[in-house]
Amino acid sequence: MFEFTLSPEPTKAQISGGVYDVVIIGAGAAGLTTAIYTARDGLKTLILERESAGGLAATTEMIENYPGFPDGINGAELLERFRRQAERFGAEIIEFDEVVKVNPIKVGEIEVHTEGGQVYTGKTVVVATGSRPKKLNVPGEKEFYGRGVSYCATCDGPFFKDKNVVIIGAGNSGLQEGLQVLEYAKHVTFLEFLPYTRAERILQERVKNHPKSTLLFNQQVTAIQGDKTVTGVVAVDRETKAEHVYPADGVFIYVGYSPYSAFVADLVETNKWGYIITDEKMRTKVPGLYAIGDVRADNPAQLSVSVGDGAKAALAIRDFILELQG
Amino acid sequence: MALLNDEIVRNVTEMLAGLTNNVRLVVFTTKNGCEYCKEIVQLAQEVAATSPKLTAEVYDFDTARDKAAAYNITMAPAMVIVGARDYGLRYYGIPSGHEFSTLLYGIQRASEGKPDLDPQTLSFLNGLTQPVNIQVFVTPTCPYCPRAAILAYDMAVASDKVIADVVESMEFPELANRFNVMGVPLSVINANSRVEGAAPPYMIVDAIKAALA
Ligand SMILES: Cc1cc2nc3c(=O)[nH]c(=O)nc-3n(C[C@H](O)[C@H](O)[C@H](O)COP(=O)(O)OP(=O)(O)OC[C@H]3O[C@@H](n4cnc5c(N)ncnc54)[C@H](O)[C@@H]3O)c2cc1C
Repeated sequence: MFEFTLSPEPTKAQISGGVYDVVIIGAGAAGLTTAIYTARDGLKTLILERESAGGLAATTEMIENYPGFPDGINGAELLERFRRQAERFGAEIIEFDEVVKVNPIKVGEIEVHTEGGQVYTGKTVVVATGSRPKKLNVPGEKEFYGRGVSYCATCDGPFFKDKNVVIIGAGNSGLQEGLQVLEYAKHVTFLEFLPYTRAERILQERVKNHPKSTLLFNQQVTAIQGDKTVTGVVAVDRETKAEHVYPADGVFIYVGYSPYSAFVADLVETNKWGYIITDEKMRTKVPGLYAIGDVRADNPAQLSVSVGDGAKAALAIRDFILELQG
Repeated sequence: MALLNDEIVRNVTEMLAGLTNNVRLVVFTTKNGCEYCKEIVQLAQEVAATSPKLTAEVYDFDTARDKAAAYNITMAPAMVIVGARDYGLRYYGIPSGHEFSTLLYGIQRASEGKPDLDPQTLSFLNGLTQPVNIQVFVTPTCPYCPRAAILAYDMAVASDKVIADVVESMEFPELANRFNVMGVPLSVINANSRVEGAAPPYMIVDAIKAALA
């Protein structure tokens, strides 16, 4: 019944230093996939990660649409396997240090600066930083963060056993995480802004058929109420204009994601939401700088797509390095 | 049946091969409603078996009062990670899931006796004159939590004044309730100032200043 996940910070001695063939920023599905390929190819590969390896997919309990796992697989476990596979081929991973700046010196030399004050140099650099949950920006959201408001049901869901929970946002993530919470919560109310949901049919069916859930559309959340901790969510029905307070001990917000791209915004092209634009080989306009996974423009935020991006970047990098060597 | 599978054992063995000083895992169990005490002892023993520099000791919190008092342990189950000396690294509950990393990092740091912190944070910690207790509330399923826990452990290694208690919230519901913990990680300093989320060192430093003011 217990799982043990190993994501220790390597001691400095395990990091070989010097110039890397590839420095990957972000140890999610995309970055780890590139590392598996490049390290296996004999390229000296470093991954820098601000948290622990795994990325967003590691924050979900059950992944059912990743090929090869007919019974589904726990997100943390799957990504742990990615990490081990990358390390097996010699990729070095540094966790808990955030990249704050990328500085192209010349073709074949790009510096990467971290919050911890380290500077790493790569012949190529891959931005695989994914995205972070969007805020709702309503009164109460900030005040009650950690006091009932959360963006990670896998992390904080267990606090709401036999309690009332509201999930804001009924897209794939909201429904999927809500179904998890339904396993132990007293009741889960899903509030969706749109008159419909774009979530997978199978998830919609499960939520609709669950005896302890309510799924409501056209709901504009205007505030999160509370005293010491959250007590309710205020929403206006966009059709009837009626206001209603939904009692809640816990509120999980799944209203979309925004890309982690600010630290390279001055270097690369982005679309109006800040997602990085690349060509089909994952190249940005800076030679040797690539972007993959959820941080890339027009990507549908799926694990298998991030994995595909990761592989494509690795193959492009191989060619780039061969060319450098002339 | 072993808690750690062969593969994890292999990885842990490799990771802990570089330990410098001996490390003792001092475990306190209790008969008072401890759901996982058996597993915690087993885990400490299995981890200890991966390195000749590691040992596990088990005490009954309810009877070995002196021992508990010596380490300032006021609730159980608890694990104290003791290196060349007791730096103040404690884990309350079972370090499973992502928290297994916290345990291993704690072992590495206690063995080395050197924190991995920036110079500003270190100089602040070196100047501390009053005791600081950092309680980090976590859950095993939280991937962001080891970051907060590890930072607290580093601070404890850096300063004699700092004790870092990492608390598995589900196993200590009363304590979690007392601080209205409904999201993790949450760092509580001297029971009066708090930082939500996996915060950078300067935010914890500010919270320590606020708690001591
Ligand atoms: C709740 C939930 C459920 C999901 N379920 C499914 C599913 O069932 N099937 C599916 O296919 N997909 C699912 N997804 C989507 C899937 O998780 C993503 O598509 C995938 O994680 C994207 O991988 P990535 O590597 O591009 O980015 P991420 O996984 O976001 O990884 C990026 C990494 O970069 C790190 N990082 C960011 N900035 C920096 C920086 N400056 N310096 C260093 N590191 C940095 C981040 O900490 C993170 O670890 C789900 C997502 C969520 C949130």
